[in-house]
Amino acid sequence: MLKDKIEKFLLSVQKPSRYIGGEVGSIVKNKDNTDVGFAFCFPDTYDIGMSHLGMKILYSLINSRENFRCERVFAPWTDFEQIMRDNNIPLYTLENLQPVNEFDFIGFTMQYELSYTNVLNMLDLAGIPLYAKDRGEQLAPLVVAGGPCVCNIEPMADFFDLVILGEGEEVNLEIMDLYKVYKDKGSTRTQFLIEAAQIQGVYVPSLYNIGYNDDGTIKFIMPANNAPATVKKRIIKDFDKVFYPDNFVVPFTEIVHDRATIEVLRGCIRGCRFCQAGFIYRPFREKTTETVYNEAKKICENTGYDELSLSSLSTSDHSEIDKMLSTLINYTESRKINLSLPSLRIDNFSEELLEKIQKVRRSGLTFAQESGTQRLRDVINKNITEEEIMNTCRIAFEGGYNTVKLYFMMGLPTETDEDIIGIAELAHHIVDLYYSVLNGRRGRPVQISISTATFVPKPFTPFEFEPQDTMEIIKHKQKLLVDSVNDRKIKVSWHDPKVSILEAVLAKGDRKIADVIYKAWLKGCKFDSWSECYSYEKWMEAFNECGISPEFYANRKREYDEILPWDHMDYYVTKDFLIRENITARAGFTTPNCRDNCSGCGIVNETGVKCFD
Amino acid sequence: MIKIRTVFEKNGRAKYISHLDLYRFMLRAFNRSGLPIWYTEGYNPRPYITFALALSLGFESKCENMDFNLNEEVDFDEIKNRLNNVMPEGILFNSVAFPQKKITEIAFAEYGASIATEDSGILLQEFLKFMQKDSILVEKKTKKGMVQTDIKALSEITNVTQNQDSLDFNVRLPAGTQSNYNPMLLTNAFINEISNKNISVKICRNAIICSDGKKFF
Ligand code: SF4
Repeated sequence: MLKDKIEKFLLSVQKPSRYIGGEVGSIVKNKDNTDVGFAFCFPDTYDIGMSHLGMKILYSLINSRENFRCERVFAPWTDFEQIMRDNNIPLYTLENLQPVNEFDFIGFTMQYELSYTNVLNMLDLAGIPLYAKDRGEQLAPLVVAGGPCVCNIEPMADFFDLVILGEGEEVNLEIMDLYKVYKDKGSTRTQFLIEAAQIQGVYVPSLYNIGYNDDGTIKFIMPANNAPATVKKRIIKDFDKVFYPDNFVVPFTEIVHDRATIEVLRGCIRGCRFCQAGFIYRPFREKTTETVYNEAKKICENTGYDELSLSSLSTSDHSEIDKMLSTLINYTESRKINLSLPSLRIDNFSEELLEKIQKVRRSGLTFAQESGTQRLRDVINKNITEEEIMNTCRIAFEGGYNTVKLYFMMGLPTETDEDIIGIAELAHHIVDLYYSVLNGRRGRPVQISISTATFVPKPFTPFEFEPQDTMEIIKHKQKLLVDSVNDRKIKVSWHDPKVSILEAVLAKGDRKIADVIYKAWLKGCKFDSWSECYSYEKWMEAFNECGISPEFYANRKREYDEILPWDHMDYYVTKDFLIRENITARAGFTTPNCRDNCSGCGIVNETGVKCFD
Repeated sequence: MIKIRTVFEKNGRAKYISHLDLYRFMLRAFNRSGLPIWYTEGYNPRPYITFALALSLGFESKCENMDFNLNEEVDFDEIKNRLNNVMPEGILFNSVAFPQKKITEIAFAEYGASIATEDSGILLQEFLKFMQKDSILVEKKTKKGMVQTDIKALSEITNVTQNQDSLDFNVRLPAGTQSNYNPMLLTNAFINEISNKNISVKICRNAIICSDGKKFF
């Protein structure tokens, strides 16, 4: 039995409870009593995957259908992977400890580019051919993908049979229903895929033929077998009524986000020009205070969590933020539950609100500043002024805070040395402010940490046309920043630019990248987002051997009329709008947020209703 | 405030809940159960939950003890049912009562060991030979570093039985807050001596015994 085989080795690996299931809230169905099985794979470790809200939602949703079964799968850490390979333990699900290749669907959630090699590794551990074309005509198993990265899945397109665009709460069940019909008929894989491509939100990569120009750019994207010319993403129209789980799987071992979470809103009104999530999750929709409260209460009661967190791109943009927070704080205080509030923006942080939050929040202040000067903040449409930043810091310092974390991006379009120096200056101003607030009183020393990430231009943003800074330029800017900071109370750190360049290639790549990913995986690349596993050298070897230049993808400016690898994906935000925004950005002008003024991004054309009254 | 002592089993997949994770696990279970658990006073109130004797990761047990306090009286049966209703597979509460013994009275623990093998006959011979040695020296981790101990002198072995695909026996070892001996010291020493490495050991704690010879409760 597989279970005995697994247990024999479990005590010799780190955190064994990750590999055996049985957690409170997990749903174990009898495999003989269900029609369609879905193995939901998160291409990273248990600790990370179990923290992911989308997986919890779809897990509950699929299992809420009596004849469907959804089971969880995570990437085994390297110690356990070695044992699995040495002892012929195939990749298995945590519920029934059943081999993944016995499922009808093997679904991957694509949350970040650096998990791509893990997808290949997991398919290999499952004993499934990596390339979709090698999987034959048998209906099962179908390897499918969803999540934000599928807005340009082209670099991974050769490995997936079917891809789901946009929000999954409806379309997942539609696909499984259709599958059941085709399974009963005894259809072939191709027959099913051709029919599935007719469902809105479904992209079947094998039905599209891509042609290239001599210079490597795309010449044409041609659909076959009646597949739509552009695949439209799915949107949940009535977000307040959308399915939400009333229970989560509660892990035994500690995970990254180990708490109850409620999704309070989807989409974002801000339109920060670097932020892919801000465009691909449009339109902005929110849940009422009542719904949020009811869902929070149910989840807390059923899981027993003593921490509740609100999930959204920008919680403070909720139209009832004050009412909602008061309602929640009343509940959580009475139950001794901690309320944690990530992603609160500072530009509409009222004193009143801050006071409420301070009752529950003890950790430091975090600001995603993104850039050091007002000019550059206008370019990226991050509408925060230095004055607002200082204001919030003052209120926080007066309330007893003494640590501030500042996040910046480096390598933004139009960025100059002056903008980099501006980062250091801003930090110095905050230090000065702290001591002026203390006003001679003795207090704990202030701690400012500046953390910078290299900007990665992403599809479906106004910066999708922009090149990424080369490694030389980034190194120059990093040195400049360090040299500009002359205060020991300010600490500077950054992400490795050798990782960011790979992210840029994978984010904006086309189908030619598939073989590079495959080669890199063959060379042992996996867990690329883990610094102890990432090997820039192996990746560069893989690019070389495939005759592909990473610079072509990362550092090349795209003309507005170039056919982009993701042009056949329709997220309703039109290319015309993105071009308009790119021009406005380069001219240094901001665009108002959606609540103040609609900028005509294209979403309304689909929904037919104005986003705001 | 009412002090309560419970005994529960830890079996199956639940045996991979580590001792460190057990507090958090039980805390959430109390939140789900709706029992009026008592919180410590002070700046950072926490429910007071303690376990008599840590159990090694991967061991099963028939006799885990958990103590906690309630704010108001609740019927013992109801406590048991409310807890069992919110437990995953593998954890089962068998008794609830007021505490009788002090934790410092714990002196021994009894374990059942089961060594899986294809040829239990050979293994039995090897085990009997192993146990005839004058002493079995093992390295034991203590606060003062590694110390050599004669585990044979400390082990009281009973019920050695040869089953179809396993060799089973019981062992009683000193246990408690002062000194505590893991039965794996013995089984590992045995496995080190024999040639067949393709065997796996299962251990279950059967009883916790006080210095007066009575069960801890
Ligand atoms: S249609 Fe207008 S309001 Fe709606 S998301 Fe687009 S820009 Fe914002």
